Amino acid sequence: MTDTGYWTLALVAGAVVILAVGALLGLLVYFVKLIDDRVAEVRYTLEAVVEKTEHAALVPKTAATVDAVLSEGRRHHLLLDRATSGSGS
Amino acid sequence: MVLTAVEIVVLVAGLTVFLYRLGTLLNRIAANLRECAALVRQVREQAGDIVPGVTHLNRSGKVVARTLPLLYAFAERLVARASAPQRHGPARQASCARRSGPHDATDFRPK
Repeated sequence: MTDTGYWTLALVAGAVVILAVGALLGLLVYFVKLIDDRVAEVRYTLEAVVEKTEHAALVPKTAATVDAVLSEGRRHHLLLDRATSGSGS
Repeated sequence: MVLTAVEIVVLVAGLTVFLYRLGTLLNRIAANLRECAALVRQVREQAGDIVPGVTHLNRSGKVVARTLPLLYAFAERLVARASAPQRHGPARQASCARRSGPHDATDFRPK
């Protein structure tokens, strides 16, 4: 083979390598873009979850209110106990 | 020679473009993941109140549910006593004689 032949072969091989690298990099960019989109979806879902769990702060307040109802009920219980035992005697 | 240089330039340019695109995407992914980590911390903080709060709520609610029938029973007893008929003593005749006559207030005089 002549020098020109070797050069042509080398150029063709180089072109093939460039195309292969381009295709693989394109695939890599596609997968990374997919990961970016899915991570963005996860972020939006987490933002929605945060909005919902913000209201969880009401739970201890509700528990305190039920305690207040309970103590009021105890007072009523004592009053009625006194009333029934007082009217019975 | 020229074609070789052109091939090298095309390869380098292509790699530059792809690497720039990849770098942009990876930076965006890193920012989103940082945001996700902060959101997860926030959720964990907020959800920490749920279990102790609900346990407390259930405990107090059970006691209230057990106490209400007792209150109702007391109230029923009171209502029953309040609505029981009152006992009156037997009707008694007047103990003294009548002081005025039946016709004293009128002009009627029986014959």
